Amino acid sequence: MSQNKSTIDFGFAEVPLEEKVKKVKGVFDSVAGNYDIMNDVMSLGVHRIWKRHTIELSGIRPGHVVLDLAGGTGDLTKAFAKRVGKTGRVVLADINESMVRVGRDRLINEGIAGNVEYTIVNAEALAFPDNTFDVCTIAFGLRNVTNKDKAIEELYRVLKPGGQLMILEFSKVTQPLFAKFYDFYSFNILPKMGKLIANDEASYQYLAESIRMHPDQETLKQMMYDAGFDKAEYLNMSEGIVALHRGWKY
Amino acid sequence: MNNQPGLVNISLSKTIESVLNTAIRLDEQQGQAFVALEDKVIQITLAPVQTPLYFMFTHYMVSVQNHLTGEADAVIESNLLDFMTLPMTRQLPHTLVSGEPEIANQFITALCGLDIDWEEHLSHYTGDLLAFKIGHGLRQFIQGKQASKQSLGETLKEYLQFELNTLPTQSQVNRFKAQVTETQAEVDRLAERIKAL
Repeated sequence: MSQNKSTIDFGFAEVPLEEKVKKVKGVFDSVAGNYDIMNDVMSLGVHRIWKRHTIELSGIRPGHVVLDLAGGTGDLTKAFAKRVGKTGRVVLADINESMVRVGRDRLINEGIAGNVEYTIVNAEALAFPDNTFDVCTIAFGLRNVTNKDKAIEELYRVLKPGGQLMILEFSKVTQPLFAKFYDFYSFNILPKMGKLIANDEASYQYLAESIRMHPDQETLKQMMYDAGFDKAEYLNMSEGIVALHRGWKY
Repeated sequence: MNNQPGLVNISLSKTIESVLNTAIRLDEQQGQAFVALEDKVIQITLAPVQTPLYFMFTHYMVSVQNHLTGEADAVIESNLLDFMTLPMTRQLPHTLVSGEPEIANQFITALCGLDIDWEEHLSHYTGDLLAFKIGHGLRQFIQGKQASKQSLGETLKEYLQFELNTLPTQSQVNRFKAQVTETQAEVDRLAERIKAL
């Protein structure tokens, strides 16, 4: 996963390194308003089960300090805020201002306040001291990061010893026949749905392409070990459409 | 890759969380009894389900999950059926396995004390008259069910005790207990005498 080159993937296209952040920002600026609806439609609501699984496995408890990186519209932040209580804290961080705004407004409207902070941050340069968080999560965000190795190293740095990193991300489908159907859905139906619901075919074409360019389960697990994690494992969900990688710092 | 909660466990925790939060929202006291449990974690195993559930209370109400980092403040064992019939029975037989008894008691008392005026909430959708009729019908049904259960229990008890003579009466049990105590005392006395020889 060496990223010592001047270009990087943006979906199936190659773009200059410094361009990817802007292009990803463009995609999420475009989809922010309809992000939650689209997630429900695209996954037929299954993304809620994937996220619930993540929350369950976090083992989170009152008093914990949690980083929800690429937290977007705040699905995980909401659940974590309910669990950490007034003695704990959740930081919703995202590189995209539009997504943070949508997430913040949504959580405040739902009465989630007091133990949640919002910040705009680049995953490759986290503005937090070492050993700050008990749990760090990045759900459906890592594949959009330009330098994934650097981001995982940063997440390792800000985790407390004993802390857990959870990466929930689209991955490689393990069942060959199902993989064919999934490819057809991703490249033929998904962009059309994006056009129909969000009037934005290109962004959803990028989402499908970026999923295919993301490291598979074993590669990502190795990247976690390379970043310094003492233990790493993953759990395939829905035949590997999504994988939950967990890494521990001891 | 062991120890992952399955879909059934996740559904159970999610369902209990939703039902309990709805009950707290509808409660006459808005779940005030749970305030004392803020930032506490209760572990409860509801047999026959083997995986424990962790209840966490914050000012946003209750969260339920299958995993926890560290130890719970109180560990309780109970029964899933008893837990499900809690709204009707208003009691939850349980055993405290470990942790702080006071926290466990607060949890059980708060759970059993949830008081929902169903008729009032129902009347918003059906109108007062229909809500009263439904409530009245339900109350009669529950009372009738309880009366039938009690009557059936009594009949069965009398049949077993007096017709078949297979079950002792309470007075027979008391007499037997007294005899056992007396025999125990005599045996002890005899043991002391033998020791003194």
